[in-house]
Amino acid sequence: MQNQKVRKLYTIQSGLKKMNKPKVGIYGLTGCAGCQLSIIFNEDEILDLISLIDLRAFPFIKEKNYDEEFDLVFMEGLVASANDLEVLKKVRSKTKILVALGACAHTGCIPAYRKWTLKENYEHLLYKKDDIIKDEDPSPIENHVKVDFTIPGCPPDKHEILTFIKDVLKGKTPKTYNNPVCVECRRNNNDCLLIVGKPCMGPITAGGCHSICINGGFECWGCRGPSGDANYDAWIEILREQGHDDEFIKTRMKIFAGLKMEEDAFKILK
Amino acid sequence: MTHTINLNHITKIEGHASLHVKIKNNKLTECKLSSIEGSRYFEGLLKDKHYFEAHEISSRICGICSCAHTVAATTAMEHALGIQVSHQSMELKKLLTLAERIRSHAAHLYFLALPDYLGYESALAMVKKYKTEIKRALKLMKLGNLMVSVIGGRDMHPVSATVGGFLKIPTKEQLNELAEELEKLKPDAIETAKLFGSLKQQDFHNDCEYFSIYDEKEYGMIDGAIMSQKIRFPNYDYLKFMNEYQNEYSTANFVSRDDKSFMVGAISRFNNSFDLLSDDTKKVIKESGIKFPNNNPFINNFCQAAEMIHAFDHSIKICRELVPKFEKPIVPKLKACRGVAAIEVPRGILVHDYTLNDKGIITHANIITPTAYNLKNMEDSVRNFIPTVLHLKNEEKINIEIEKLIRSYDPCFSCSTHFLKVKWDRT
Repeated sequence: MQNQKVRKLYTIQSGLKKMNKPKVGIYGLTGCAGCQLSIIFNEDEILDLISLIDLRAFPFIKEKNYDEEFDLVFMEGLVASANDLEVLKKVRSKTKILVALGACAHTGCIPAYRKWTLKENYEHLLYKKDDIIKDEDPSPIENHVKVDFTIPGCPPDKHEILTFIKDVLKGKTPKTYNNPVCVECRRNNNDCLLIVGKPCMGPITAGGCHSICINGGFECWGCRGPSGDANYDAWIEILREQGHDDEFIKTRMKIFAGLKMEEDAFKILK
Repeated sequence: MTHTINLNHITKIEGHASLHVKIKNNKLTECKLSSIEGSRYFEGLLKDKHYFEAHEISSRICGICSCAHTVAATTAMEHALGIQVSHQSMELKKLLTLAERIRSHAAHLYFLALPDYLGYESALAMVKKYKTEIKRALKLMKLGNLMVSVIGGRDMHPVSATVGGFLKIPTKEQLNELAEELEKLKPDAIETAKLFGSLKQQDFHNDCEYFSIYDEKEYGMIDGAIMSQKIRFPNYDYLKFMNEYQNEYSTANFVSRDDKSFMVGAISRFNNSFDLLSDDTKKVIKESGIKFPNNNPFINNFCQAAEMIHAFDHSIKICRELVPKFEKPIVPKLKACRGVAAIEVPRGILVHDYTLNDKGIITHANIITPTAYNLKNMEDSVRNFIPTVLHLKNEEKINIEIEKLIRSYDPCFSCSTHFLKVKWDRT
């Protein structure tokens, strides 16, 4: 069950063929543009990279965008409005490999926490809207269309995006990382934040991020979604011992990737 | 006869927005600028969270200004809880803010604004002829990112800043390396300002109030009064002086003062705090021949470019002078309280306002982003600008000029609420 969830990161069925100048699109649904920026933030490699692909659409930085057909599309953001859904479905229908880029596309990220937010908390922010901007239930893109590959993280590791594109160009199957954050964190010689009383989600979260937040002194909030073999019960017990109440623990588990956790994960919480 | 032009996707802005224009007998009858970004309800999501969670959540409002939201949220919480952070923490917060100003301006100026002026569809299309310029943009962005990584722990959605201080302190060696890198690339910032100072601009005047954070000792940073050429008030009084309202055609709120729109951003900072700019910045401005105060919104691009020189100078000063020492973030005593932070971020004033209960839980959150402040003014500007370009027969040319105007505000529609769609309706 858990393993299935991790394997879901990768569904390219028939293997990849080496691609010569693939037609690429980079789109953003509702989100913060941080994942799209993370592609550009490969400052030393971006120009070489662009020369190896046929960048057909990238509305964030391009005026002329062609959306007839794509070999590869990176989709940032979650579905939160009718417009998102329309764009997502249209692009999917023209795309061979659709990549969910980043946490919003993968898990719904923070905006999907609306699902567990009392309506009275945001009622004052609701107002009469034109149809195009009508709300949809906040949801990851795989809830609506088939996703071929996921690059997780809020934002993803920018080098991971680069490696993915290189792999696709070479016809190599991109690797996914299934170990929890703790594996890389130990290798980076960080002091364990759980031991010093911080509610670190490292043990139950998929790594591949080089434990970047913990390297910076900050506990993991689980942005890459649950790791394959997460022992939720043991982790919850540690947080309780730290003095955190169940409400707090539940919120932490749900804030970045709640929609990716099975109900079982929450069963021992009150 | 009704003439309608739909220009879908005014691209090259941060986020999705649309513009609807109606023209009757060569007269503009309707002009609506709206954000069509999906709603995320950040203020609602922040309610019921702990005071120490707000900055991590609110940084996700925006990728290009994640440092801004982190710094604003932690500062507002510190004000609420009566925490006076150390000089070191304040200087590190300023470095985060300055680093973001460098990378955000570089990204906006070269990738979103410049292609319009040089007649290209994108910066990528410019690479053949303008490789030096594009490489310069990438160098500047890389430097900004390096600074954010060193101070904030990672280059997007930084993690090391927290309420009461920093979780990880950079070493003196790291700060020295940043200073060296900044000194090495300062000529690139100067070249950027010279380039944008040399671009031919539309002669257009936007008669409105220009608001920025003012502090008599330091050019627009963290905290200070909110001021324009007409008024100055304490930042926590922002609601008394500014009115936030909603429009059904937009998912972003509009803000006005006395029913009139106003502008925030680099041009406002120049108009109000010109004397506080560094000498090298003033020198380049003088050479450009552009005068301040200035009320041409197109000039905002030049202001951003020139402001980068100041950001370099200020950053170098901090990196050279700060001798980092180990210190832990200050732990607050919880009480029912409210705190407001108003800070200068790349696109203008950002306000975070939190009310906490005695357990440190957020009971109310209000966030006003620069694009929300500017939205009404952008709309007004477009309305006033269109009659000046209607004589141009070629509608595509008109559209480009309007897009240039909108992009000169450097709007960020993720923040405020992505495809900017211009809908022409000509009768």
